[in-house]
Amino acid sequence: MNEPVVVRNLAKTFYDEARGEVRAVQGIDFECRAGEIFGLLGANGAGKTTTLRMLSTILTPTSGSAEILGYDVVADPAAVRKSLGFYSASTALYPRLTARETIEFFARINQYPGEKVRERVDYLIERFGIAQYANARVDKLSTGMKQKVSIARTVAHDPPLLIFDEPTVGLDVLNALEMQEVIKEFRAHGKTIVFSTHIMSEAEKLCDRIAIIHDGKILACNTLENLRRVTGVHYLEDIFVNYVRGQG
Amino acid sequence: MNWETIRVLLVHELRMLVRDRRTVILAVGVPILMIPIILFAAKWINERRARTLEETVYRYAVTGTEAEQLRSTLARAKESQARAETEKGKEEGLERFKFEEVKVQDPAASLRNKDIHFYLEALSGPQADALPKKREKEDEDEVAPQSDSTRKEILPVPTRLPGVPLILIYYQGDQDTSQAGEGKMRDLLLRERRNGRDAILLDHGFPVDPLKVISIADKSLASAGQVTGAWVGRFLTAFLVMFLLTGGSVVALDIVAGEKERGSLETLLTTAARHGEIVAAKQLTIVLVAILITVIHIANILAYVTFRIIKMPEDFVIKAPPGTVVTLFLLFIPMAAFISSILLMLSAYAKTYKEAQLYFFPVYLVNLTISFAAVLPGVSLRSAIVIVPLANVSVAVREILVGKFDWPMIGLTFVAMAAAAVWTVRASARMLSQERLITSSEADVADFAGGPALFPKHVLRWYALLGVILFSVALNVPQMATLRRQVLFNDLVLFLAGPLLMIWKYRLNPKEALAFRAVKPAVWLAALLIIPSGNLVGIGAFRLADLVIPVPRQMLEQFGQELTPPGMPMWQIILLLAVLPGICEEIAFRGTLLYGLRRKFRPAGLAVVVGLIFGLFHVAFFRIIPAGFMGVVLTAIALFTGSIFPGMLVHAGNNAFAFWAGRQGYPLAGLNWPLYLAALAIFGLSFHILYRNRTPYPDLRN
Repeated sequence: MNEPVVVRNLAKTFYDEARGEVRAVQGIDFECRAGEIFGLLGANGAGKTTTLRMLSTILTPTSGSAEILGYDVVADPAAVRKSLGFYSASTALYPRLTARETIEFFARINQYPGEKVRERVDYLIERFGIAQYANARVDKLSTGMKQKVSIARTVAHDPPLLIFDEPTVGLDVLNALEMQEVIKEFRAHGKTIVFSTHIMSEAEKLCDRIAIIHDGKILACNTLENLRRVTGVHYLEDIFVNYVRGQG
Repeated sequence: MNWETIRVLLVHELRMLVRDRRTVILAVGVPILMIPIILFAAKWINERRARTLEETVYRYAVTGTEAEQLRSTLARAKESQARAETEKGKEEGLERFKFEEVKVQDPAASLRNKDIHFYLEALSGPQADALPKKREKEDEDEVAPQSDSTRKEILPVPTRLPGVPLILIYYQGDQDTSQAGEGKMRDLLLRERRNGRDAILLDHGFPVDPLKVISIADKSLASAGQVTGAWVGRFLTAFLVMFLLTGGSVVALDIVAGEKERGSLETLLTTAARHGEIVAAKQLTIVLVAILITVIHIANILAYVTFRIIKMPEDFVIKAPPGTVVTLFLLFIPMAAFISSILLMLSAYAKTYKEAQLYFFPVYLVNLTISFAAVLPGVSLRSAIVIVPLANVSVAVREILVGKFDWPMIGLTFVAMAAAAVWTVRASARMLSQERLITSSEADVADFAGGPALFPKHVLRWYALLGVILFSVALNVPQMATLRRQVLFNDLVLFLAGPLLMIWKYRLNPKEALAFRAVKPAVWLAALLIIPSGNLVGIGAFRLADLVIPVPRQMLEQFGQELTPPGMPMWQIILLLAVLPGICEEIAFRGTLLYGLRRKFRPAGLAVVVGLIFGLFHVAFFRIIPAGFMGVVLTAIALFTGSIFPGMLVHAGNNAFAFWAGRQGYPLAGLNWPLYLAALAIFGLSFHILYRNRTPYPDLRN
């Protein structure tokens, strides 16, 4: 069990006053290997976000276990969070901080060594091309610039594992492509990436392995080539439909 | 706890607050500017008004058969006034009242047209006797001021005797100068009457000047410091609570609810910062901002006092030796933590900033009201109030400032307040760990689904509405003042029709919502045993508590005594005060309320919450806790049996038992301890039977 992400029989049941029990994730298993991009592919409401939120310790699993770099998400959530960077389309920045202050805040709060913070912030500002706007307040930035600041704050503490929950939702084509390039670059730098999406082309382009998730269950988990071989269809969209309909 | 993380978070929160210019201006800048403007404006208006009233020459008319005699009196009064002014001078507070008579045809019309400020009608004794009683305003004597109710009881206000002439002053109560003129004329006439009376007494051989008969003086044995302390102590805690709440709210409402709304909370919760550290930083921020704004306001007020813009009484002396200051400070620390936690919880509970704003006002009112406990007359720290957060600090501060240091009770106050602060701090930390902070939007499907799914979300609103109706009717509808009408209205309209309306509106299954389920036969035996034993256990528990902290007598008495109108037949008592509440109140509280809340709380919490709400519906203050105790017992029975029926029997039986004991004169609150212990044993046995024969309430939260 040396993989950076090990998920065993992980389940999440929400309790809702009105609806009663909602079984969002129903005992899923998967592993994410070091340096790969692992994709969770599923429709809206399939359980992708809930799974990633459990991995990032925002939600507590109802049963099962998940380990991030050897730390259990329930037993040692702070260590888990220190080891990962979480990016989601729904997470936001602080509008009254500048881009520089934002990156610095997240580096410090994630306990990046104090003496190296300034150097790290400068590097990220340079890397993401936001030097010109580094001292502008976030609420004054364009969507594209905000996205860059968001990515920079996600990796501010240089975590070995990155979780991207539907990162391109709401972005235009160019920004979405840039996001994909950045994710590839992170992989090239040895980061392990767990990535969720409902966009088939994105999963095809980016993921080393793909888990198809539907109704809180993982229906298949393999490389794209193997999924093609097993299902006998070429396009991921068809593979996905094949599994979902077959399950139904 | 990583203090560096807390520091980073704290600096971050403060930085964001400082950059929110609108908030800073509204919270700090505007009050600083507004207070002097308001004070100066008020001062200018008051001075201008006083000057205007003093300079006004009051025009009046005189009518009535005794007008000439009144004119003579007024002429004498004018001379006396001029003499007194010359002799004593204005510096002794003798204001010159300038008045002149105006000849008018119709005084009432002239008064309405503002041609005159008031008019006088002088009537002879028989004419005054013939007046309808309500037309005359009560004749007052200057020695019995109306505002002093205590004195009025000792010195009855003199009334006009038959045959005594009367001067009626007509004025316009809605016009400042008319009202002021009436007051001045009234004082003038009273003074003149006293002078005339003294002259008559002397003329008829009264041996001494009537003013020299006796002189009355009083002297307070309290020092100026104690008097000031008592005054300041009554309001200090409430003012601090007000400032802390308003100051803290500046940052608190946004600190979680705002972050939740913007989506930055999720970002923060995925960082390495622990929830405890995030809560600590946010609370420190609230406390710091609240204290800072409080200090700014106090400094602002002190500046006005120093520069005499706000004038304090001459004998205003605050004595605060270091020991007093330290003691007060120690009491205020947990209070500040408590308030900041309450604000943080409020912010965490609300889904949006706007929702947090909506919750703030009731929270503010409740806390402020409790903190005014020191104003209540006769409330001492050596009472049950010592365990009530905020109220205990309020009373303790009053006692400390008058120099009364009841150390064991001050210590208990600190412990109770600190315990409340710790509990709220932990609760706010728990709230920040709740998944609904992140997933709240997923729980709103019920709003679209409506029907039974929506009832749990709305149930407390319904009971709040029932409570408002119950209190409003009890306080404002005199026709409902009789016991019979009140019971019939409450039970049939509120507690029976109300739940039926809820069942209809939310399309609930009546059998499920009202827990109409059969129980095992042994349950009935247990219910019968609980009737007397539960009553006595409640009294015994409060008597036991009374040994440690004095419990108000009325509270103990309310367990075993019910006030019924004398002469009310027993069958009516049983029907109206036992059977009807047993059925209707159980339908309302162990029926729909319990059903609606069953998944909101775990069983123990559910019993307490339903019991407490049941207690709150018992209007009389001293009945809340005894009724709440019975409410918890009745809810526990419903949870064990899953049925409303045993509770109905216990409820009706308990009420009947209390009335029967009261009528028979059995002193239930004064029994020997072994009897209470025996009752406890029977009570325990009854619940053991219930447990062994349990058919639990379905669908509870585990």
